[in-house]
Amino acid sequence: MTDVKDASSPEIQRDFDIHSPDDVEGVYDTYAAMRSGCPVAHSPRYGGHFVATRYDDIHDVLRNPGTYSSRTINVPDSIGQDGEMIPIQIDPPDHSTYRGIINPLFSPKRMRELEPQIRAIATELLDTMLAEKKVDFVDAFAREFPSQVFLALMGWDLSDAPRLNEWTDTMVLGKPGASEEENEAVREQAGMEVYAYFAQMIDDRMENGGDAEDITQILINSTFEGRELTQFEILNILLLFMIGGLHTVQGQLAHTVIYMAEHPEVRRQLVGDLDLVPTAVEEMLRYESAVCPAREVTEDTVLNGVQLRSGDKILIPFAAANRDPEKFEDPDVVDLTREPNPHLAFGAGNHRCVGSHLARLELRVAFEEIHKRMPDYRLDPADPPVRHLSQVKGVVSLPLIIGESL
Amino acid sequence: MTQALNASVDLAVCKGHGRCYMTAPEIFDCDDAGFPLVIGTATTEQQISDLQRAVNNCPEQAVSVSPAG
Ligand code: HEM
Ligand code: SF4
Repeated sequence: MTDVKDASSPEIQRDFDIHSPDDVEGVYDTYAAMRSGCPVAHSPRYGGHFVATRYDDIHDVLRNPGTYSSRTINVPDSIGQDGEMIPIQIDPPDHSTYRGIINPLFSPKRMRELEPQIRAIATELLDTMLAEKKVDFVDAFAREFPSQVFLALMGWDLSDAPRLNEWTDTMVLGKPGASEEENEAVREQAGMEVYAYFAQMIDDRMENGGDAEDITQILINSTFEGRELTQFEILNILLLFMIGGLHTVQGQLAHTVIYMAEHPEVRRQLVGDLDLVPTAVEEMLRYESAVCPAREVTEDTVLNGVQLRSGDKILIPFAAANRDPEKFEDPDVVDLTREPNPHLAFGAGNHRCVGSHLARLELRVAFEEIHKRMPDYRLDPADPPVRHLSQVKGVVSLPLIIGESL
Repeated sequence: MTQALNASVDLAVCKGHGRCYMTAPEIFDCDDAGFPLVIGTATTEQQISDLQRAVNNCPEQAVSVSPAG
């Protein structure tokens, strides 16, 4: 097998940095170049790791958790968690036991019942936002909305949202521009503060009781193969809900508003027919897929002609999979009625996003309420939005002028 | 007359994305954990086209169809 390449083959080397502040606007071109030149590339960053960019290869990785373990989910390895985040860093068979506990918490039926509450949070934020002509959409809505929904689901105080947001930002982004050591230190600090906060919420619940139906209480009452969950387990489940549920929705909303501000013809199509919202949500999830997890190879294997060895790390950017022209016609074009659209924005296989039903509901409600109330908006030419890459691509600031259009 | 279709889901492969019961609500419902239940046969044009879309949109390729007899 002379044509199998490996980590040292010169033709697959690419200096790709998932945390680079410089690459964010050009990242789809970077992925396209890798996909057509070396669909399984090798980067020297963070101790060396592979990057897959074809839909089918990424799909293969997702569907073979035995070969591609998610015990390593981040590069660099830690975002400040203590122990494993549950269930993302857990492999089968324990993974399915945890999912058995968690799936019902976010089931489509349960989420549907929450719709009025979620809509009320959205409309209240939008009413405040629309009193202004110039706003930062991230501050006014995108960051606040998912965190208030999260707190409501937990049965915690909505006014804790700013604290949660700050911890999440630090754990996901580190300290932009700082050294790797410094980053590690700030993430660890944020991690400790989050655990302390969660622990206090759990203790408070144990002492004082509360809503029997909220997520905090259901987790406290849950059992893993007959034993109660430990506090450590609950903390690491809650941490993942926070990391997985806030930044992602925030980014998705902000990326969508940037696109719609820049493409008034697409926005008018949506404003003119809000029945398009469900497929528009799917299309924007495909077009801007924020999440780029890692996997750790557990046994020597070959992926699309490249030899991977046990212990190797591989990044699987869903943004690359979802722009693969082999899978999607005109992948760089937004088509609000795209059909079919089997995108991987929520992953696939056993770690498929457990919050996807909640996320879809939040996105639908937000797309509807925003475009019902705010048919026209544009970016501020003097103050363009700032995005960041990282393993959850997001938007730091999004100045918006309301009531005007390009 | 279009051929009526039965749907089936390979539950070993299905991961509960829910694209099927979102696109073809007359053919699929979901259980309390978010996994699909087949609740009907596709007989009308609309149901048949919804079911076809469910097949094509399932990210796990877990939905298949067969002629209803
Ligand atoms: C637009 C919003 C969202 C996107 C794009 C998204 C994306 C993803 C992706 C791609 C994965 C799989 C990662 C992998 O395979 O390594 C995942 C897993 C997960 N997500 Fe989400 N997510 C979103 C919203 C949410 C929300 C609202 C929650 C709420 C709790 C959530 C909780 C989780 C959890 C707990 C996992 C781990 C599942 C497991 O390991 O079995 N996500 N998400
Ligand atoms: S779309 Fe596919 S994976 Fe998702 S619930 Fe339906 S059958 Fe299962």
